Amino acid sequence: MPGISIRNVTKRFGDLVAANNINLGIEKGEFFTLLGPSGCGKTTLLRCIAGFLDPEEGQIHFGERRVDGIPTHKRGVGMVFQNYAVFPHLSVQDNVKYGLKARKVPAGEQEDRARQAISLVQLEGLENRLPNQLSGGQLQRVAIARALVIEPEVLLMDEPLSNLDAKLRVEMRGEIRMLQQKMGITTLYVTHDQEEALSISDRIAVMEYGLVRQVGKPWEIYVRPQDTFVAGFIGTTNMIDCEVMADEAGMLVARSGQISFGLTQSDGLSQGEKLQVAIRPEAITIRDIDESIPDGHWSLKGKIVRFEYLGSMIKYEVGFSGDVSLLVISYDAEPDKIKTVGQRVKMSYPIERAKIFRKDPSQ
Amino acid sequence: MKNIFQSKNHFWNLTALLIFIAVIYFLVVPVSRVLLGSLQTQEGGAWTLENFLSFTKYRTYWRSLANSIGVSLAASALTIVLAVPLAFMVSRWNIRGKPYIIALSTIPLMLPSFISAFAWIILLGRAGIATGLFQSLGIPFQSIYGYTGVIMVFTLQFYPYVFLMTLSGFNSVDESLEEAGRSLGTGPVKTFVKVSMPLVLPGILSGTLLVFMTAVENFGVPMVIGEQKPFLAVQAYVEFTSDIGQHPGMAYALSVVLIMVTMTSLMAQRYYLRKRNFIQSAKGRPQIKELRGRARRLATGYCFAVVTVPLIPFFVALIISFMEMRGPVIHPNFSLQNYSYAFGHMARPIFNSYFLATVATMVSVVIGVPAGYILTRRRSMIGDGLDFAIMLPFTIAGTVLGIALIVMFNTGFLVLTGTWMILALSYIIRKMPFIARSSSSILYQLDPSMEEASISLGVNPMKTFFKITIRLMAGGIIAGAILTWVTTISELSSTIVLQTPGWSTMTVEMFQGILSDDMGMASAFASILIVSAIVPLLIIIGRFKEEGSSLF
Repeated sequence: MPGISIRNVTKRFGDLVAANNINLGIEKGEFFTLLGPSGCGKTTLLRCIAGFLDPEEGQIHFGERRVDGIPTHKRGVGMVFQNYAVFPHLSVQDNVKYGLKARKVPAGEQEDRARQAISLVQLEGLENRLPNQLSGGQLQRVAIARALVIEPEVLLMDEPLSNLDAKLRVEMRGEIRMLQQKMGITTLYVTHDQEEALSISDRIAVMEYGLVRQVGKPWEIYVRPQDTFVAGFIGTTNMIDCEVMADEAGMLVARSGQISFGLTQSDGLSQGEKLQVAIRPEAITIRDIDESIPDGHWSLKGKIVRFEYLGSMIKYEVGFSGDVSLLVISYDAEPDKIKTVGQRVKMSYPIERAKIFRKDPSQ
Repeated sequence: MKNIFQSKNHFWNLTALLIFIAVIYFLVVPVSRVLLGSLQTQEGGAWTLENFLSFTKYRTYWRSLANSIGVSLAASALTIVLAVPLAFMVSRWNIRGKPYIIALSTIPLMLPSFISAFAWIILLGRAGIATGLFQSLGIPFQSIYGYTGVIMVFTLQFYPYVFLMTLSGFNSVDESLEEAGRSLGTGPVKTFVKVSMPLVLPGILSGTLLVFMTAVENFGVPMVIGEQKPFLAVQAYVEFTSDIGQHPGMAYALSVVLIMVTMTSLMAQRYYLRKRNFIQSAKGRPQIKELRGRARRLATGYCFAVVTVPLIPFFVALIISFMEMRGPVIHPNFSLQNYSYAFGHMARPIFNSYFLATVATMVSVVIGVPAGYILTRRRSMIGDGLDFAIMLPFTIAGTVLGIALIVMFNTGFLVLTGTWMILALSYIIRKMPFIARSSSSILYQLDPSMEEASISLGVNPMKTFFKITIRLMAGGIIAGAILTWVTTISELSSTIVLQTPGWSTMTVEMFQGILSDDMGMASAFASILIVSAIVPLLIIIGRFKEEGSSLF
């Protein structure tokens, strides 16, 4: 089972560069996700790999084999589509056997492999049903079985869960992950749902405007976003425009209006330079106004302006003088610890959790 | 550019190219030769505009142009008056029996208009059944020959175009749009005028244009009921057949003028629609207003009157075909003499009609379905050219096509004049675009990922087309083929030009029966045609309800 290597792939639609000089290496057996908002080029890239689109530039390899230029039906990919694309005129069994027949697999072996694939996706007993007698979740299982039964070199999944309801979506993504690990198949998965991407993937490539912004393990992307787009797109984050004030005692201090933020030292930052600082809401701890803070934390004082009680967590909005406010998520939901609107509080965050992004001078 | 050289597109590019070349050779070149011929007064003569100048000199010619346009405009206006309120009521009020109204409304489109004209003469002609009745009651009524008759038959025959397109317009105006209008402070009537009407207007105009084009190119109705009044399509035929052997420059000029009229109207419509393509997300269907008692009965009565009156002539034709006839005089006795004559002496035309329609339908499907596929799924330079090429036959009147085919295939290395093939060819040229358009609209509703799934599973694109695409389109294709067959057996305007004694059809025999006052034979053929059309139509309405409805 080979990996996929994508080298300098560019795809244009007229003036629009849908995929801009993309380089990605997907390990064999890896579950790799392309994540980004609609129009970011993730589906374009997937369709280039499937062979439905031909990139203008670059190469695509499955293992040692170069596949760009090879028509889709000879590429050996298994594909699962957003709207299932289960053939409505064929039974479950015939849908699953469709690719085996095309490969002229002997009839007996077809039976065996179809039965295995159907049991893998837990559709035993529904072999002779027609697609219009199946639910959305069952249809997607048929689509997955049909793609897996041909033992493809790579499995491509284009937003396979987006037509399912929320509960089923969570259930199915767990199953897809389990199946993938069981078969050890190299999988490229496309989604715009960041939670889905974080939960299911070995690695994620975050895309925007045809460019890959960052590639990494889910936690790397979440905790160490490389730019403001990734920081803003994955999860929620407080994004603060700051100006560097001083460099004191192993710590950098930047100001936004009346408020100072402590940041980690960073090379080449000079006084007066404009920055964007990203702090995750759950990195901030709400404390009583007179509570002391641990070493390596930076403290702030503000007033609660809004709070949302969500059971397992509380979302606070803390206001400062001026229009600045921070979102804070607290998992400390003990009733007597809950702060009320108007209460003055102290907050702290570990300075290494404040990510610094230098402002692109061109923007 | 890389795409064209890849094997997966070869098949389709080649298919598109072949269809394109066929359209050029069998349609564009013949029509161009008519165009060139219109600029000469004799074969190989000097270039001149003399034929066109005849339009200003001779009353017959300019009258034929004025009549064709005037009568078609009048019929278009009347269809709007008749069909728009009908569409509104069926869409928005609780009329009884809506499915029957819609089903009945599609029938006139499937039946030949000259049968309708023929039967109206039997009812309201000079010696008509109803005319006699009116006169005995002292109502001053002469007959419906002339403009009145032509306009009336056109209106009753072609109103379904406006009705069906307006109905789908009214049905797809999202309820929330009207509610938004109301909430912003316009009253119900004003909201209708300001919000709903502009959204429905493109549908009304498209339907009206179809009425206009069908009326302008119609040959049979003015010939049967127009009483020697000149019309473009009729005049072109008359000039062409009377000038055989000489250079029929005037017939060509009339043909060119006819093409210019239809092309101009089609272009005007495209220009208008280009800026008014309102894409609507019809989430909520419009609210149905609940009428009660008398109001509801009146509205229902109006709707059923509109859809049943156009069917009266066909019932009349059926009934009198079982009566004894001597020339134009009907004797009220039951008799099968008309049928024994039709089946006895005229078995050949019956066979010809069925044979030609079947061949033409099969070829149209074989060419039209791939053409529709290319239009929808394989848009490229060739695809755009094909789109235009497939539009062309819509603008060429049947009479003109017949003349053009004779000009082209009379001599040269491919001689078809006088054979059955030239008839089949004209039917294919006229009907293939319909199959291509309807296939293309079926495909628009079919998600391309079905085909992509098949290709990703290892089935090449060409096999995928046959294993998946065709299978999923089958219902729609069969319904479209049946409709093509039905309308082909009733084709008159190109058949009348192209037929030869051995290859005459039911429509030709019937038409000649009417002209020679042999009403018995005409009514028998009319009835055979009606039954041949209605039976397949019922099959479609019964079996392919959903697929079929998108074809009208």
